[in-house]
Amino acid sequence: MKKLFTQVLFAFTLILIGSSLHAQRNISGVITDGETNEAMIGASVLVDGADIGTITDIDGSFNLSVPAGAERLVITYAGYSDQIINLGDQSYYNVSLNAGALLDEVVVVGYGSQSEKEITSSVVKLDNEDFNQGDITDAAQLMQGKVAGLQVYNRGGDPNAESVIRLRGISSVGANSQPLVVIDGIIGASLQNLDPNDIENINVLKDGSAAAIYGSRGSSGVIIVTTKKGKPGSGVKFSYNGQLASSSPLNSVDIMTGEEFAAAGGTDLGSRTDWVDEVTRTALSHYHSFSATGGIGDQSSFRVSANVRDAQGILENSGFDQFNTRLNFSSLALNDKLSIDVNASLLNRNQQNGFDEALRYAVLYNPTAPVLGADSPFQFNADQFGGYFETLGLFDSFNPVSLINQNRNNGEKREVNLGALFGYSLTDALKVNLRLGRQHTDFANRIYYPTTSLFNGNATSPTRKGLSETFEENTTFDLLEAFATYLIDLDGSNLSLTGGYSYQQENYNNFFFSLGDFPNNDFDFGNIIEASQDRDNAGFIDFNSQVSPDQKIIAFFGRANLNINDTYFLNASLRREGSSKLGAENQWGLFPAFGAGVDLAQVMNIGIFDRLKLRAGYGVTGSLPSDWGLSQEIREVVNGGDGSVSTKLLRAGNPDLKWEEKAETNIGIEAATGKLGITLDLYSRNISDFILSREVDAAVFGVNTRFENVGKLSTQGLELALDYDVLSRSNFGWNTGLVLSTYTTTLDEYVNDEETRGNLGAPGQNGTNVIKVAVGEELGQIWGPVFAGVAEDGSPLFEDLNGDGTIIASQDQALNPDGDFQTLGNGLPDLELGWSNQINIGAWNVNAFFRGAFGHSLVNTFRAFYEPRISTQSSYNYVNTSKQVDGLTSARFSSLYVEKADFIKLDNLTIGRNIDLGSGALNSAMVSLTLRNPIIITSYTGTDPEPSLVDGGAEDNGERLTDGDVGFGDVLAPGLDRRNNYFSSRSITLGVQINF
Amino acid sequence: MKNIYKYIFTLTVLSLPFACTNLEEDLVGDITTDISAPGISTGGEGSSGGPLSAAYASLRDAGTANHGGYYSIQEIPTDEMAICAKGGDWFDGGILIELHQHTYTSVHDMVNGTWTQTYGAINTCNEAVANTSLDENQIAQARALRAYYYWRLMDLYGRVKLITTPGSDAPQVSRQEVFDFVESELLAVLGISEVSNSMDLSSSPLSTDPNTYQINQYGALGILSKVYLNSEVYTGTPRWGEAAMAAGYVIDSGVYQLCGEGCSVTNLGKRAAVDTDPDELTGYAAVFAPNNEGNSEHIFSVEYDEVSGGGMNFSQMNLHYSSQFTWNLNSQPWNGYATLEEFYNSYDDNDARKTANFIVGDQLDFGGSAVLDYASDDGNLVLSYNPSINELAPNSLREAGARPGKFSFKQFGRDNMDNDFPIVRLGELYLNRAEAMSRMAGDWNVGLDDVNVLRARAGVSDFSSIDADEFLAERGREMFQECSRRVDLIRFGRYNDSWWEKPADPSDHVNVFPIPNAQITAAGGTLTQNEGY
Repeated sequence: MKKLFTQVLFAFTLILIGSSLHAQRNISGVITDGETNEAMIGASVLVDGADIGTITDIDGSFNLSVPAGAERLVITYAGYSDQIINLGDQSYYNVSLNAGALLDEVVVVGYGSQSEKEITSSVVKLDNEDFNQGDITDAAQLMQGKVAGLQVYNRGGDPNAESVIRLRGISSVGANSQPLVVIDGIIGASLQNLDPNDIENINVLKDGSAAAIYGSRGSSGVIIVTTKKGKPGSGVKFSYNGQLASSSPLNSVDIMTGEEFAAAGGTDLGSRTDWVDEVTRTALSHYHSFSATGGIGDQSSFRVSANVRDAQGILENSGFDQFNTRLNFSSLALNDKLSIDVNASLLNRNQQNGFDEALRYAVLYNPTAPVLGADSPFQFNADQFGGYFETLGLFDSFNPVSLINQNRNNGEKREVNLGALFGYSLTDALKVNLRLGRQHTDFANRIYYPTTSLFNGNATSPTRKGLSETFEENTTFDLLEAFATYLIDLDGSNLSLTGGYSYQQENYNNFFFSLGDFPNNDFDFGNIIEASQDRDNAGFIDFNSQVSPDQKIIAFFGRANLNINDTYFLNASLRREGSSKLGAENQWGLFPAFGAGVDLAQVMNIGIFDRLKLRAGYGVTGSLPSDWGLSQEIREVVNGGDGSVSTKLLRAGNPDLKWEEKAETNIGIEAATGKLGITLDLYSRNISDFILSREVDAAVFGVNTRFENVGKLSTQGLELALDYDVLSRSNFGWNTGLVLSTYTTTLDEYVNDEETRGNLGAPGQNGTNVIKVAVGEELGQIWGPVFAGVAEDGSPLFEDLNGDGTIIASQDQALNPDGDFQTLGNGLPDLELGWSNQINIGAWNVNAFFRGAFGHSLVNTFRAFYEPRISTQSSYNYVNTSKQVDGLTSARFSSLYVEKADFIKLDNLTIGRNIDLGSGALNSAMVSLTLRNPIIITSYTGTDPEPSLVDGGAEDNGERLTDGDVGFGDVLAPGLDRRNNYFSSRSITLGVQINF
Repeated sequence: MKNIYKYIFTLTVLSLPFACTNLEEDLVGDITTDISAPGISTGGEGSSGGPLSAAYASLRDAGTANHGGYYSIQEIPTDEMAICAKGGDWFDGGILIELHQHTYTSVHDMVNGTWTQTYGAINTCNEAVANTSLDENQIAQARALRAYYYWRLMDLYGRVKLITTPGSDAPQVSRQEVFDFVESELLAVLGISEVSNSMDLSSSPLSTDPNTYQINQYGALGILSKVYLNSEVYTGTPRWGEAAMAAGYVIDSGVYQLCGEGCSVTNLGKRAAVDTDPDELTGYAAVFAPNNEGNSEHIFSVEYDEVSGGGMNFSQMNLHYSSQFTWNLNSQPWNGYATLEEFYNSYDDNDARKTANFIVGDQLDFGGSAVLDYASDDGNLVLSYNPSINELAPNSLREAGARPGKFSFKQFGRDNMDNDFPIVRLGELYLNRAEAMSRMAGDWNVGLDDVNVLRARAGVSDFSSIDADEFLAERGREMFQECSRRVDLIRFGRYNDSWWEKPADPSDHVNVFPIPNAQITAAGGTLTQNEGY
């Protein structure tokens, strides 16, 4: 392995030197529309295999310097068929392009690829020109709104938050609902670590019949990313891509100014402070990537890239800087029978996680309080708090400026991905493959609260001040796969067979410790933890560690694809998979899939359609929660006095635990005429035996939880994608695309007939579960009493919904049959829409992308806690939206705080211009300007109307949620807009791309 | 030659599937049955019972002195205390008002939590009883402790499942049957067939060693005394004689002494700058102090420790946010539990128990300056606990109500307190004997001597005569904050009365809590609901 890399590096160096010495010649020509003979502006002219190219000018003309060995030119233009021109001796070429005929694209599926027409399941391919542009901090955002049924929500603008991604909504309850990401064949990779510029295309396998080949890990859908590669025999091409972005808060919570607060009877501390303004900023980010692509001889190729990202968040002191590199190397050997593909990537990311609590405290902190203690209206010992003012004696209230300026929360992530694929063609028809992969991730997080921080730093204590928290984790994932493909040609039809074996092993470990009591504030004692006085008083030191067992998945799989005369298509696959997490009797699951398709355009010879494909697929996958030891009993140690030990039960075992299964049926129609493409998918998915840690009979088990197969869910959905070339003149083109999706999920069976989830939390709203889950009903119901006005004592009145004269509206009675509760909204959207527009005018192009979601509601928790004029808490600022009710002085959950959150927004507007730099050292360039979120239309009064698909829970008073709480929160409780959400942002990005 | 590569490669690829299909999972980072075998107990007579450490630790886990479990559902429904809703704060879906006003239902979170915590505790006892490496005395302790937990369940829920083997199921039985089980288990470990004046405990495997963290013969008798005292409530049949004899045996043994004059401990809550803080806590106050380990009055106690035995959180639960600065607490308190004014006023001003049990008035910080509440809503920045509470809900004032402080706080206290919590203490046994004798005789004055022993210790004058109401009030003054009030009110027929903002109960079905709905569901038909719910 090492030697191979050395050789690659050596070759790379040679090529760098050698590439400038290649013999070259100049050619020129003109490109015209085949029907109108009009000159075509902005058509792309590429030397095949060499990645050298240009675009045509206003006369449709081009000049290009081509290598001596170049054989073909490829001419492309949106909406027109590609033209391939064989290069002869002449130096001038007159080419006409014809509109129409679709390309038959190759689509990557698991363990191989298929021609698009052969696919019988719902698969969507996105090329890099389809991606969202601008200030993208996470590669998942590239796809936002582009694929029908793919939900990508990044609530708020935290640059360190990973997006919540869902394919067709909920796919599992206890297991991971994020789709599987496969990057160059290596499964389970992270999109966050990928430079968007490295991506060639993304294939999204939406339905079960497509994903079944990946087994349990593909149960939530599969996103297959293929990175860019070099081409053998081509010269070296360099590309630079740079972006400079400025972002600012899009929205804040409507609150009172100091004047308004004082006038409303709030405690006036004399100052006037705009806390939100104090903790947010106009953030500047810049991204640079550089790549070199080319061939080494006629059998090998490479691509190397490096990417530097320096992103700032709109919250002061939040952001990250990241460096990653990626190397792809491909080679053929042994008479081209052995193919070797090697890829490696390296990531180093330093995160300033910051403290998003500061946004919550900025909203609710007294707007008449001063930032600094010196400006306090009464005697205040500011030195104790680092010079800052603090309102002492109030629950969950901290000076947000002090919080972000004094405390430190930094993370460092290092990740190495290595992958190798060896393929050997035993015959023309039979190829065997061996894939090896390893992904290793280290993450370290250090938080330090200095001795003068009230927030977790214990500044009020006369003795024990300061707190340091250290967390480290590492994960190693190993992959070994062997598979073979056999092709049989049957006179116009062909059959392709694939069979293989997959071995996956993940090992995880972490440790955490926190200690405090530091001498003073002279150093960052988070780096000098041995200074802690807690060492003398060990009971304060908090620590824990986790080491996973070898978490293995072992699978055997096979697939057959049959193409009959390019008209009828059949696909079938079977995977047998075992997991170490289940009881010995139930470890192995069998997951079949099959699909069939017919191209009616071929069968019936319908002229107007280039393709009219009807397809149907069915697939079963399994899934398991991420915890290990699911079926085993877990205990904890109880130390007695003088070293004696016994243990007690924490979780009961369940040897009968079996696979959660998801069966999905998908029916699709694909129609394509010259200008119009339509894809319609209807699907039905049934999740049975889903696994949750449930409440069991405590008397029998001695503890009230264990994992069980607890219920069934079903989802019905519809997805529509339209693509239309509105105009395709040579100097003016407009392509528009619309994706629409809708689904509903119903709980068919469950161990409890009904239950409530999604506790609002402190202060005062514990025991306040606002989401109802009931058998036979839709998921996502926001459930509560209906507000009917204000009582004399300032408390809310509620509707007597059942008309029995008694109002039962305390939220803990939510399921009382005599209670006065109803569905107040649904957390899941009815309809999601993405509308993209690509307009080309000469060398200019404009990309306008609109995105919307409709029919969902959100519980606006900022209002639920802080909008009532609570006299007993007049030192919190009041949330003050248009929905505020006069006279209400008591906070209790009701319909008052449930708001429709329909929105439509201009998500992304990009204006770009291609610049032909002729035949100089620089080949071509493109400059672009992108606006993210320039226009948003919604009636929601909170900061962000995006649906909240998963609930991470409440946090308060210095308790902090972990990323795990947020990312893998409760999928049965969508619709809560929590107080700990980062504010979303609006950005403008200037981008430059230079190819040379 | 080329073929060699071909075959090696193919053979390698084809042989892989057979190389690894082993799916055994060895949980290296967790403790499973594999290492929970009885042998893990490394023996030794620890302060909390060596191999019984899990069983005794369950007293802490079972919510004896924290928010949300046993303590909460025994205390909040009484006239001793309440958690008032302060605007939005502490409304919590209505469950705290429901507790105080007796409108709790089967979905009440704390009713469910207490059930599952108690059965978790019983499981640790069942495992200990099944542990063949334990000696006779340890098994007897585990059985006695299990009987105590079943007493809690019987008292709270009435009809429960009697499970005595880990992992097995058993039917839900009547309250009478649980009573019989509890009684027979305690009698068995005492080596007797009935409690009598002439009982001989010499065949009991329990010791007589006064280690307050383990159940000895006196602890078992103390529990029996509680059980018999309430027998009429549980079974309809009074057992006053046995209640009195069980308590009397312990009192008369002379092994334990009331903590009175000369029984004192250093006052760990003292602020050097505040002269009125005594240097020592004496008598009643010492029984519940942070350094009350081994107090001469404790017969069986829950061992709390700020480091190794967490689970007592009264400083958090009871105090106002700003009181953090009086005791330099490690965390900000929650401003929850407060004492009802009428209860507070039931004490004479010179009753030592009034000073010991409550925190009232203006609060001073460590340096002797006034503690301020910058978010004050009573027009006065100084934090001052006012025994008068304006209302239960919705707008109770932040500083309203005397705060329970019997389990007193120490300087630099942590979230978890150090004070031991007595399950059986001598003071209660005096009251048990007095009441049982009085009821048996039909004359409350029969118990006067025992009552006056406690009054003398509290520095208040003897009663010359007493009636049922006064007896209940006296018992309330003595047993405040010890999870006794609900049981006492029910026994005296006063639980269903109205008081302050609590209306009279329309029905007495609330005298047992509902069986938690979640457990009825989980039990799949083997649990049925109590009458009236």
